[in-house]
Amino acid sequence: MSVLQVDGLVVRYGGRTAVDGLSFAIDSGEIFGLLGPNGAGKTSTLSVIEGLQPPTAGTVLVDGEDVTHAPLAAKSKLGVQLQSSSFQAELTIEQLTRLYAGLYGLRLDRDGIRDRLERMGLDGERAQPFKKLSGGQQQRFSLLVSTLPHPVLMLLDEPTQGLDPQSRRQLWTEIEALRGEGGSILLTTHSMEEAQAVCDRIAIIDHGRLLATGTPAGIVAEYREDPRVRRLAHGEPTLEDVFIGLTGSAIRD
Amino acid sequence: MTETRNHPAPARPSVGLAFGSLLRADFTAALRSRQTLILNILVPILYLVILGINDAKKQFAAPGLLIGLGISFGLMAAGMLGYSLLVASDRAAGVFQRLRVTPTATWLIMGSRITVQLASALLMSVVTIIIGSIVFHVGFAWTQVLGMLGVSILGSIMFLCIGQAVVALLKSQGAVNAVGRLLYIVLLLTGILGSTGILGETLQSIARWTPVGALTELYAVVFGAAWSGDATAAIIAVPAYAIVLGFVGIRFFRWDPR
Repeated sequence: MSVLQVDGLVVRYGGRTAVDGLSFAIDSGEIFGLLGPNGAGKTSTLSVIEGLQPPTAGTVLVDGEDVTHAPLAAKSKLGVQLQSSSFQAELTIEQLTRLYAGLYGLRLDRDGIRDRLERMGLDGERAQPFKKLSGGQQQRFSLLVSTLPHPVLMLLDEPTQGLDPQSRRQLWTEIEALRGEGGSILLTTHSMEEAQAVCDRIAIIDHGRLLATGTPAGIVAEYREDPRVRRLAHGEPTLEDVFIGLTGSAIRD
Repeated sequence: MTETRNHPAPARPSVGLAFGSLLRADFTAALRSRQTLILNILVPILYLVILGINDAKKQFAAPGLLIGLGISFGLMAAGMLGYSLLVASDRAAGVFQRLRVTPTATWLIMGSRITVQLASALLMSVVTIIIGSIVFHVGFAWTQVLGMLGVSILGSIMFLCIGQAVVALLKSQGAVNAVGRLLYIVLLLTGILGSTGILGETLQSIARWTPVGALTELYAVVFGAAWSGDATAAIIAVPAYAIVLGFVGIRFFRWDPR
């Protein structure tokens, strides 16, 4: 059974259609990349899966749980790292870990909390509030919170944005470890290099519609002779050539 | 692709554990927040101390009524300003979005915050009663103290509902701040000046129906004033404000600032 099944998803904000009949599925243990230019509908799609936004039409099942009809059951199977979110400014990351553990149904004692922080290299910062952490530490702490429930599916919205190469590498080591435990990952990224390096399969979307899906190498092979791609490629086409060829070179805000 | 899952599917957390975790975090945050402390405790104490220093003010009304008015100002500051600003800033920072992606019902998230506000309102009321007794050299029967606490809970709910309506109708944190302060000043002035009759009978009649005026009327009854038409109006007005503005606050509230 797929851990995520998206069928005919439509999201409209007033008269604007952000997601227009999107369908895809993610298997157990798979890292799946959702790629698209700004405004393509990636964050709207994730918002529906996360239960933050009701779909206008279509269904989304997380490990068999419908996000519209059983939102809490679906959320209990998800680990989410939002693109922009924060934590209560008055609480230390130790207190925040206790809070979020409780929200995911875990009773962690002080040693349990410190063990989790230590595994993320954050034990020395346990008395600090989230805002006082460096960018890399903040991302690692967000990942710690997201992985607290041992989720069936992790949703990572541009997880390595703004990180230096060392922090990025460390974060991917953590994410790979999660996959090693059998978890699946859905991520969005603007980095084609990252998508090619870490994703088992990707989907390229634009204007809320699915343009291509498959393995990164498979998509490059499928579109290598497409005139839109050939026009951009200098030598062998890359995933970035295919991405820009399919979505156009106009700058999006 | 890996087809095996090495860990069991996560279980749904219990409501008790989730609510307990939220309460613990919200109480810790409230204790660490200087703004909450100042708004909840210092406003009514400052008011009572100023009245206590100025002996002439002691002739202005019964001590119990002045203490009730002081508690009303504290409840108003905490509910309308403190609560609405906290919700607006957490919403703008994305704190609610982070909480909402966990398997926690939204009513638990808000329920915890309201519980903390009510507990701090009760604490503020007790402190204000004690300080008021010292400042005005008066003692109160237990029934009066309990009555005062009951009215404080009712008042706290009403001002929280006003604060919730403000934060529901306004998206920007700056607008919530500005409108909250403006409302505070207007209600404070109508509460102090309107109820005295200094501004004329018309404003005095209007003031009785304002949240502060109605609440003060209930405090007056607790301290032995005869039950009157104004008291009947007040006992209707306070829950009515809470119900109507609470409905607006829930119906139009957006968790996302966008």
